[in-house]
Amino acid sequence: MSAEPVPPGQPVAGTAPLAAASRSSRAREFRRILAEMLRIDRVRGGLVVAADGLVITSSVPRNIAIEPLAALTATLGRELEAGGDRLKRSTFHTALFSADDGTLFLGACPVGFVVVLGDREVNVGLVQWALRKALATLEGTWGARDQVPATPEEM
Amino acid sequence: MRLLARIWEAITSITRPPNAATLFRRADLYRQEGRFEEAAELVAQGLRLQPNNGVGHLLSAYLHLAFRQIGPAKAEFQTVLGVDPYHPRALLGLARIALEERDLAACRPFLDKALQYYPDFPEARALQEMVAGWADVGVPAGQRPAYAGPPLAMERLKPPAAGREFVLTQADGTLVFSQQGDKDAEDLAAHVTQVYRIAAATLARAGLGALRRGIVQATTETTFFRSNDRLILALTFPQDVKIGFGLLETDKMWTNSLRELGVRA
Repeated sequence: MSAEPVPPGQPVAGTAPLAAASRSSRAREFRRILAEMLRIDRVRGGLVVAADGLVITSSVPRNIAIEPLAALTATLGRELEAGGDRLKRSTFHTALFSADDGTLFLGACPVGFVVVLGDREVNVGLVQWALRKALATLEGTWGARDQVPATPEEM
Repeated sequence: MRLLARIWEAITSITRPPNAATLFRRADLYRQEGRFEEAAELVAQGLRLQPNNGVGHLLSAYLHLAFRQIGPAKAEFQTVLGVDPYHPRALLGLARIALEERDLAACRPFLDKALQYYPDFPEARALQEMVAGWADVGVPAGQRPAYAGPPLAMERLKPPAAGREFVLTQADGTLVFSQQGDKDAEDLAAHVTQVYRIAAATLARAGLGALRRGIVQATTETTFFRSNDRLILALTFPQDVKIGFGLLETDKMWTNSLRELGVRA
């Protein structure tokens, strides 16, 4: 191990050149999925976070610190997965949590969790549908594709 | 002659097998792209070359977590701490695992230690602030605090026909009412409370305000949440439930529960 501990906020094994990351088709797919979610009216931000809390891609308003949000969303996602397992429930797929000023959507996928932030007026059904579609695409990258209705109305 | 030596060096550097540091750097890049399988392969190769490399073990821990392999991840984080007892990211990793295992007593010291030397560690700070006011929901069944409020008339809190696992808890995890038997009810209450607490902290962190409702969809069931600052209600339906119906029935149960408890909505 290196003499210096890895400082918080730094990659664990040196600096990751962004150009190298952008070469990956999988990384491109995450960014494309997030960009699609962000095109939905009243969606304010989103991120793809690994189960260990690593931010794979993100776009959130400037006033939101990304690392703490990623740490909490990954923790929430893991509680939904592990807590469900503990209660012998079936596999967790998606969740939404509504608050006074907006809604947080969260979906589980092999890479971790897709998170979308919507404001108070966001079309919940539309985001849920788009999220399921995004998760199915990610599942397709790793394995079997989930069945997603053709339109939000069919959900 | 010097030119020839440089050309030879350039050629051999391409054909020479990569060293452990190079493998770990590449693995970290793959990990950041979500290419966990390839990253894991490189980490395994690197650790074969340098079995005691802390960076390698840290990456290995992260990758186990990414694959949801909690036991091996825990062991790898502990290996990192064996080399550097104050490694902030290993401490954070163990804190998150302790949280997942609902072991608050173990979680807090890991976060405190991580922040002792790195006070500007945002992820650890966020988790520390989240757990600061929590009562422990991980205490064994039968040792948890009992509900001491007004008694509830069970017949007036009957969930709809398809509804199951109806549970009402206080925000501190105290079970108020449950449709299920004692042991299962306490486990369910602990899970519901934990989801509520983490979701509430996440919403606050995202600047969205106080948690009011939640819907959690799994393969064979959908769970609806209602909450205010003091109470949390959860009601589960089969997966094919219409969302509108689930919300309506959950609202009814919520209103009835508040009425029974003498709480104004």
